[in-house]
Amino acid sequence: MDDIKKLHNEFKKTNARFNTRRHFLKDCTLGLGGIALGSFLNSCSTKNISFNYNADRSLNPLAPIAPPFSPKVKSVIYLHMVGAPSQLELFDYKPELEKLHNKPCPESLITGKQFAFIEGIPNMLGPQATFSREGESGNWISNHIPHFKNIVDEVTFLKAVHTDQFNHGPAQLLMHTGSPRLGRPSIGSWVTYGLGSESNDLPGFIVLTSGGTPDGGKSLWGNGFLPSIYQGVQCRSKGDPVLYLKNPKGVSQELKKNIIGSINQINYNEYEKFNDPEVLTRISQYEMAFRMQSSVPEVMNINDEPQYIRDMYGVQPGKESFANNCLLARKMVEKGVRFVQLYDWGWDSHGNGEAESLRKGFLRKCKDSDRPIAALILDLKQRGLLDETLVVWGGEFGRTPMWENRAGVQNTLVGRDHQGEAFTMWMAGGGLKKGYVHGKTDEIGYRGIEGRVSVYDIQATILHLLGFDHKQFTYDFQGRPFRLTDVEGQVIRPILA
Amino acid sequence: MNTKDIKDTIKLSRIKQNIKFFVLITILISCESEKKIDFNAQIKPIINKKCISCHGGVKKTAGFSLLFEKEALANTDEGSPAIIPGDSKNSRLIQRLHETDLELRMPYHKPKLSESEIELFTEWIDQGANWGTHWAYIPLKIKKIPELNTNIFSEKFFNNTIDKFIAVKMLEKNLSPNPESKKNILARKVSFDITGLPPDKKLFELFIENKIDYETYVDSLFSRDYYGEKWASWWLDLARYSDSKGYETDRGRNIWEYRDWVIKSLNKDLPFDEFTIQQIAGDLLPNASYDQLLATAFHRNTMNNDEGGTNDEEYRVAAVIDRVNTTFDVWQSTTMGCVQCHDHPYDPIRHKEYYQLMSFFNNTRDEDLMGESPNLRSYSKKVETKINKVLEFISEKTDKQTLNIYSNFFKYLEPKYALHNSIVLNSENGFISGETLNLRNKGIAVYKNINTRGFENLYFKHGGGRKNTKLIFRKNSPDGNVIASINLNQNKYWFYGKNNSYFKIKIKKELKPFDLYIEAINRDLYTNNSVSYDYKDLAAQIDWISFLPNIPVSNTTELMKLDRDINTILNTPKNLTPIMVENEDFMKRKTYLFDRGNWLNKKEEVNPQVPSILNKWDLEWEKNRLGFSKWIISKENPLTARTLVNRVWYQIFGKGLVSSIEDMGTQSDPPSHPALIDWLAFNFMNDMNWSLKSLIKKIVLSSTYKQSSNIDENKFKLDPNNLYYSWGPKLRLSAESIRDQALFVSGLLSPKKYGPGVMPPQPDGVWEHPYLGNLWKESKGEDKHRRAIYTYLKRTSPYPSFISFDASSREICLVRRLPSNTPLQALVTMNDPVYTEAAFHLAKSSKAESIESSIKKMYKSAVYKEIEPKILNNLKSLYRIAQQEFEEDNLKLDNFFDLGNKIDIKLASLAIVANAIMNLDEFLTHG
Repeated sequence: MDDIKKLHNEFKKTNARFNTRRHFLKDCTLGLGGIALGSFLNSCSTKNISFNYNADRSLNPLAPIAPPFSPKVKSVIYLHMVGAPSQLELFDYKPELEKLHNKPCPESLITGKQFAFIEGIPNMLGPQATFSREGESGNWISNHIPHFKNIVDEVTFLKAVHTDQFNHGPAQLLMHTGSPRLGRPSIGSWVTYGLGSESNDLPGFIVLTSGGTPDGGKSLWGNGFLPSIYQGVQCRSKGDPVLYLKNPKGVSQELKKNIIGSINQINYNEYEKFNDPEVLTRISQYEMAFRMQSSVPEVMNINDEPQYIRDMYGVQPGKESFANNCLLARKMVEKGVRFVQLYDWGWDSHGNGEAESLRKGFLRKCKDSDRPIAALILDLKQRGLLDETLVVWGGEFGRTPMWENRAGVQNTLVGRDHQGEAFTMWMAGGGLKKGYVHGKTDEIGYRGIEGRVSVYDIQATILHLLGFDHKQFTYDFQGRPFRLTDVEGQVIRPILA
Repeated sequence: MNTKDIKDTIKLSRIKQNIKFFVLITILISCESEKKIDFNAQIKPIINKKCISCHGGVKKTAGFSLLFEKEALANTDEGSPAIIPGDSKNSRLIQRLHETDLELRMPYHKPKLSESEIELFTEWIDQGANWGTHWAYIPLKIKKIPELNTNIFSEKFFNNTIDKFIAVKMLEKNLSPNPESKKNILARKVSFDITGLPPDKKLFELFIENKIDYETYVDSLFSRDYYGEKWASWWLDLARYSDSKGYETDRGRNIWEYRDWVIKSLNKDLPFDEFTIQQIAGDLLPNASYDQLLATAFHRNTMNNDEGGTNDEEYRVAAVIDRVNTTFDVWQSTTMGCVQCHDHPYDPIRHKEYYQLMSFFNNTRDEDLMGESPNLRSYSKKVETKINKVLEFISEKTDKQTLNIYSNFFKYLEPKYALHNSIVLNSENGFISGETLNLRNKGIAVYKNINTRGFENLYFKHGGGRKNTKLIFRKNSPDGNVIASINLNQNKYWFYGKNNSYFKIKIKKELKPFDLYIEAINRDLYTNNSVSYDYKDLAAQIDWISFLPNIPVSNTTELMKLDRDINTILNTPKNLTPIMVENEDFMKRKTYLFDRGNWLNKKEEVNPQVPSILNKWDLEWEKNRLGFSKWIISKENPLTARTLVNRVWYQIFGKGLVSSIEDMGTQSDPPSHPALIDWLAFNFMNDMNWSLKSLIKKIVLSSTYKQSSNIDENKFKLDPNNLYYSWGPKLRLSAESIRDQALFVSGLLSPKKYGPGVMPPQPDGVWEHPYLGNLWKESKGEDKHRRAIYTYLKRTSPYPSFISFDASSREICLVRRLPSNTPLQALVTMNDPVYTEAAFHLAKSSKAESIESSIKKMYKSAVYKEIEPKILNNLKSLYRIAQQEFEEDNLKLDNFFDLGNKIDIKLASLAIVANAIMNLDEFLTHG
């Protein structure tokens, strides 16, 4: 008893010297503590341990746990280009398609196929970009994304990804939850459930959007049947970054500290009386809420970054922008956030309106995202974070080599319809080959002919890099074990370093 | 010793040859009750855990499966059976378990079974490999109530039969019950469990002052409509009720009348069997009433997809599949989703049986249309009178069949042909978008295989068109015989639908089905349009056509009046609710087995049938949803009552008697109290006559329920999960109750019932969509403070604080909400304006002479307890801290809590204390 007391006093002193909450929290056995409680709880009181339950997770469902296999990366930044960017204008260079430009599509390509909008016989549409070989790898890159050449040797391309969904909502759901229907946990939820969070004062799974909410809605970062603590927390650029984060009018953070102190003290009495361990969890969640009130606005503030970093990303302070979100993603990963999910809306280039045409809206999207993406990779690299982070880029499907003819009439502007059969995604970070290309499409980029990978394969690979066997990582619901990849998926071994 | 015993003994001696015969007999005699292997209890769990993933419903490696008895005893790929009943020595199953070659030993590439497990298998085979029936598939029978010495605990523990079952188990585990909760705590707890709200003060005092007894108190809680509003949340999670369609833009859905139906049905305690029949098949009941039709909206809560380019048939099939799965999730604790693609991996249900079940549900009129038809139409009193007059007229002039056809048509506008199923022949002159056929000048579309049943009135619904359009209907080819045509040259009848969306045309009697060609002519308009989906220059937009029988009239005046009246009826429904309507025989759908669950790969045709493992089909029953619903509520159905009882138990105790409340199949957790669940289930069907209120009452009157929730350290060690109920339940309140309670104790809660979903304030920007914008229209007045059940629920963006507190977003059937405990919850109850407003009003209504008595009053109003000195001191010091802060900075009181006014220091400081009280564990939990 005395020893513990001594130790504790010692600890308190050190704590006071450093005056940081984080030290205190990290080292305290039960993850309890914080200034609001420190005064009365004897934060590491042994009484709490006398009950034999899984102390870590029941007090803090986000307590970090090691994955079953040795992981290559600790965190994930997933960049989803909502609407499905055209692989044929970015990475999948098809000179043959140029020759077929404006010629009718051979019927063999469309018989029995289902498209979102193409009807009858469309014309082919040549690449709306020029391509060059870049970097030491010499991989093809479009002129629309000049900054990308600076990172081309860092990424692994998957050129023959396929999906069986050809509408935005279901395809996005499939990509992020392993099912085109609503109701399954998202990949970020699975990962946070499996690994917990390294951060004591930020959510483990954060979502940032630009341009609008994706078609699949909040289910894309929903917890499905997993406990709700694992759902993605959307940090917003306007208003409270997290809902109800701000104190009500008239309440200072100092007063909030006292309110929470009061709540927690009474709750602790309650615990002593009734021995209900849930009460301890509640105490620690109120502590976390308090810390989030200062740490979330802190991490969401890009103004304290040096000017050259801000320039590098091309941020637009005060606005909702993809560039801001890329910088935020780096800051969050740096602080131990497990999964950062970015959605950038506006890539649905059908050609039935300027914003959705390959010669206008699409170019703007390329311009707005090219610099920040390159900056993100380089910034992670210069901080030594790229080795322990996985960056994934992609849409929910790709686009057709045909010029869309909605209801049988060629669209007035240049655009392509949805295509699930073959599209490009890329990954960069720990455990992956660099400057590598996996998979190949036919001469017009219509079908994968080598190294085809499914959405499930990508999910399996992400889980693999994080230290999971996707087949064994399950959760029992409605009487059966569920997994992210359902009954599918194979790790894409050739791209592993 | 009889012959069988001797036989058993001999068999056993093969295994234990070194044991002397004599000794063995002695052992066998001494433990006679243990020697018979129980397949369900001893063998099936090992199979499910170690064998079924390779030898089950999904994979049948080496042609061997342990799922069905027949398969297990059948020849495998090796040409002979792996199990030979009575002969373990020659059974390859046993040989393979012992095998030393790792390539041959089972389980393949997995650790060897333990000696005792192998021994069990061996004995089981030697005893004849008897297959048992899983407990939950055995029909319910009268259960004996355990006899107990009433002195074991204290006599007071046995309030009702439930306690006896609980006591038996408690004794087995060396546990004893907690004393009864304090009256005030019990009063609050049971009030939450019945009404979802704390008790009103008057009732509470009556009970505390012993003026009424506990049972009277409980009855009085049941008599309030709050009961239905609370329990409806549970049912609506199962029914996946929401106010939006789900997919893509997640547009609104008008189905709140169904929510109100659930609340009302619960309040009048509609027996659960009728509650079930009406929801599954109310439309098929003879002379179905408005309410019975409305009940079928249960299965119209499936998601719709309105996105351009989606295949309506694909999403219709998805909805039908969801109905099958949901029905089995809700009533049978059975995961049917598995059987969609293959035999059930561990429950004995065949792949084909899934599609036989599906064919019960595959014959309804709904087709994933934007307008959600068929919709049940409600009418104003005035129109209702008109309908009755018209129907009276029809009955005078025609036969019963015609009367029926018109009566149903006025109820839900079926049967009709929706023109999204037509094909446009010249794409530059027309297109289909959503459910509408859009034709320009000279646009032609065909609807194949139309059956007019010889009816001569063609009705169609339009969404507007241009003056001077002529519509021509032809038979069998684009230039075939004209069977009807109409010149639409009157603006008032042809202008964007508003008050006139329906036309009637006379056609010739056609007795056989034919292909109907529809052409629009309007020479004022351009013929071609290179821009697809351009709504310019549309001659006509038509949604559907329908054929109704002729009504003979005596003169033109009579005809004009009749047409006018019908027109009024069609154009002026008060409200629309999507419901189930069965296809008549001439429109009947066929159902096929889908290969591996893929709706495009149709195999053999199947007919309605129920799984053979469950209760038998009664030949008296109709072979449709109605018969199916009777099968569900048959007292022979082993799962319905067990499921319901287990789920209600879960609502009250936070865990099920079978802890996997989603599943009661062979993979489920064994029941903690098998005799109790069966006794309750049997009683629920018989003595209680399916009354939900009686069931809940039975539970809350038990001593088991009334125990205090203190956790004794020793008991915790013996039974950390309280599986044996030696202390009472204490649960965190549901998302709905958290909000309702805050509004209730602060006096803000509106008692208003029913009606369309309301939109209480929520932060800006929560609900947005790239191309629909923000549609959350904040409700005004008391609608801001309605009970949570009335809050508009958009699937892709539910009310944020409900989601934080684990409510369902209602995409699919949810059997269990997972209670969580997160920082986001703390942020809600501390900072969400709903809760600060409530805190302010609690403070305001508790103003008293002294600060101390104000705090006492607030605390009591919130948690129904007298405050302890320790807590009082704590809150007093919080008050002083707040007071000091506000004294130092008076500006903080401007627009305090965003309530718009300057507030005095005392009230503001009290509101801070109220905010703390409303975040206490004892406030957020019950018990």
